[in-house]
Amino acid sequence: MSSERDLPDADPHAMPPEDMSPEGVSRRKLLKLGVGALGCGLAVVPIVPALGYLVHPLRMGQGEAGAMLAAGKRKAFGSVPVRVDLYADRRDAWNRESNVKLGSCWVVERDGALQALSTVCPHLGCSVDFDAGEGQFKCPCHRSAFDLAGKVKGGPSPRAMDSLELKDTNGLVSIRFQRFRQGGPTKEPV
Amino acid sequence: MKRVLEWVKARTGLDVAIAGALEEPVPGGARWQYVFGSVLTFLFMQQVVLGILLAFYYSPSASDAWASTAYLNDQVAAGWFLRGLHHHSSSAMVIVVVLHLLQVVWAGAYRAPREVNWWTGLAMGGLVLAFALTGYLLPWDQKGYWATQVATGIMGTVPGGEPLRQIIQGGPEYGNLTVTRFFALHVFVLPLVLGGLLVAHIALFRRHGVTPPANLDAAELKRKTQPFWPNQLFLDVAAMTICAVALIVLTFKTHGAELFAPADAASNFVARPEWYFLFLYQLLKYFEGPLQIVATVLLPGAVATMLFALPWLDRVASRSPGARWRALSMVGVLMAAVTALTALAIVEDAHNESYQHGLVVAEKESHRARTLALEGVLPAGGIAVFDNDPKQKTRKLFKEHCSTCHTIEGQGGEEAPNFDGYGSREWLTALIRDPGSKRFYGGTKGHTTMKAVPATAAGVTKDTAGAAVADEQLRAVVEYLLSLAGPEVGATDAALAATGKALWNGTVECSGCHEVEAGKSDTGPTMAGRGTPAWIARVIRNSGEPDLYGENAEMPKFGDKLSPDEIKALAEFISSQREVKPDAH
Repeated sequence: MSSERDLPDADPHAMPPEDMSPEGVSRRKLLKLGVGALGCGLAVVPIVPALGYLVHPLRMGQGEAGAMLAAGKRKAFGSVPVRVDLYADRRDAWNRESNVKLGSCWVVERDGALQALSTVCPHLGCSVDFDAGEGQFKCPCHRSAFDLAGKVKGGPSPRAMDSLELKDTNGLVSIRFQRFRQGGPTKEPV
Repeated sequence: MKRVLEWVKARTGLDVAIAGALEEPVPGGARWQYVFGSVLTFLFMQQVVLGILLAFYYSPSASDAWASTAYLNDQVAAGWFLRGLHHHSSSAMVIVVVLHLLQVVWAGAYRAPREVNWWTGLAMGGLVLAFALTGYLLPWDQKGYWATQVATGIMGTVPGGEPLRQIIQGGPEYGNLTVTRFFALHVFVLPLVLGGLLVAHIALFRRHGVTPPANLDAAELKRKTQPFWPNQLFLDVAAMTICAVALIVLTFKTHGAELFAPADAASNFVARPEWYFLFLYQLLKYFEGPLQIVATVLLPGAVATMLFALPWLDRVASRSPGARWRALSMVGVLMAAVTALTALAIVEDAHNESYQHGLVVAEKESHRARTLALEGVLPAGGIAVFDNDPKQKTRKLFKEHCSTCHTIEGQGGEEAPNFDGYGSREWLTALIRDPGSKRFYGGTKGHTTMKAVPATAAGVTKDTAGAAVADEQLRAVVEYLLSLAGPEVGATDAALAATGKALWNGTVECSGCHEVEAGKSDTGPTMAGRGTPAWIARVIRNSGEPDLYGENAEMPKFGDKLSPDEIKALAEFISSQREVKPDAH
């Protein structure tokens, strides 16, 4: 067989004795340093651009208040809260969507004036419901309860329901939909 | 710190494992020609990292693939760089695979006892090509779509290949399932298989050791032996660095990878495979009809079989290249043939005018699509990006509100004038000759007021029988009509228009029904500014204005239904039809 002739020697795994001369030692040290330095350089190539790439969502528009969105006629609202869905055009990464539901809010008349409360619970973002029997807003997830003005009446919510800007133009109600940071005592737009 | 290291060592044995991985003798000493395997391992790992990063933004569906790729490439920070590096690295892998194969063949490293290592290497080489083929389609752009159509089409022509083709592309046609399947193959199946083979390949390499140069005897090999760490590894890492620097330069120079317009099944794109498949593409040109299978299956199959059997084909006693001239020339001829075919394909395309023209068109479309995509693509995805084009939006508006009665671009109703070529000399001439034809007011209910102006008998310039005029006289009338509209609808010949004015008031008797001053009303609409966007916009708003169609107006008023911007866009769109050749549709 020719195979035997292809093997360099009996044990291909025998390590050679190290060159312990000063030149040999310093040469090996240099090579090791070179491997380390170049290796780090290679790792940096994808890592550095990847950092900016991965945190790109942070650079998207933040806290920008959207436009006033049509919510319905003034006549449609009274002292019993009415849930209103708000529609608008939206950008979602690469998509442009027209007339999609952005979210909803409760509209209720208090002392003759309309007020809009976001259905997003300030606690952890569940959708707040209205309990007509008790006349309270209730969050189904963690039992936060709010009165008609949005004030906390019970449960873990750290602040009142988030009110939204509302305008009544010649009997047509429009509302500016916004989302706020959850879980904190202050209302900050996200 | 030291104690932490000691603890890790004691608990994991990591130090022993690392020492085991690095302590390997290189008989005959470290050499540059040994670097290719390491460079490939590095490139593969870099591709894995880059691929994972791309997956953070890429969405594998026929409607999302192109838009998400355009988004990550053109809008996400450094996205173009990471995608470009991933793209160019795939080319680099093909090149280094070939170099690695040539080095192995030259050194005789495929021979016993390393046959299995050779086969795992061949399999990995095939996988690198499979990666390229599957990855090419994922952006779902014109180039990837059409080049891959050819590849799966070939699969379908092979006996028994049709079911295989449908399984791979997920049905008889390209669609969502094609993307998800190619994605699953490219991102999960192929990397796992390649990774497994790589482990086997390296383990086998370690088992049999480096194949040292054949011209050194045992004593000299032993004397020159160096450790893998750090001697060979330094050369390996240096070669990786050279490769990485070249790729970075290339990525910057090309500003990343190309991205053509979204895949359009109805277009005729000039499809070419990636450069490393050009030899197969060229080979296909020489085998037509029933012989096609020679180029698609038989020849590639024969080459693969030959490479697989190389350890048995080469049975000469000595490993020196001189003694193995037969094996070396087989591979040499193969490489020469591949190179020659590739060169032929490139040269032929360089002289192929329709291909070159197709490239220019493709570049333009790509630029247009990617610019429009910056506004966001409608959820329908892909070619829906062109709906962002204002003209396309207007076209849609026209379809919704006007095309029940009016035809444009060959589509629409016949209840009102056809707008193809609207306001051009030809259109106006035809209208005056026969307003009652279907093309004009023939389909409009009760619209019979305007009388036709027939042609005179040949050679007669003035017909005494009535309002008939010769073609050249009508040419003058139309010129006058256009001059009334103003420079907005194009330049006019003043002398001809003056002749036309006389005819207008005289022989043809247009002035009996049409005013030529703005705001003045008569039976027919005023001709002042006729055909300009402003005039058309007024008609759209309310065609029943006294100075327009007055009581003869049949068209609904759109002033309340459409916004001023929409009316303006429609008017401009209709007015621009005079520049469109009637046979363009």
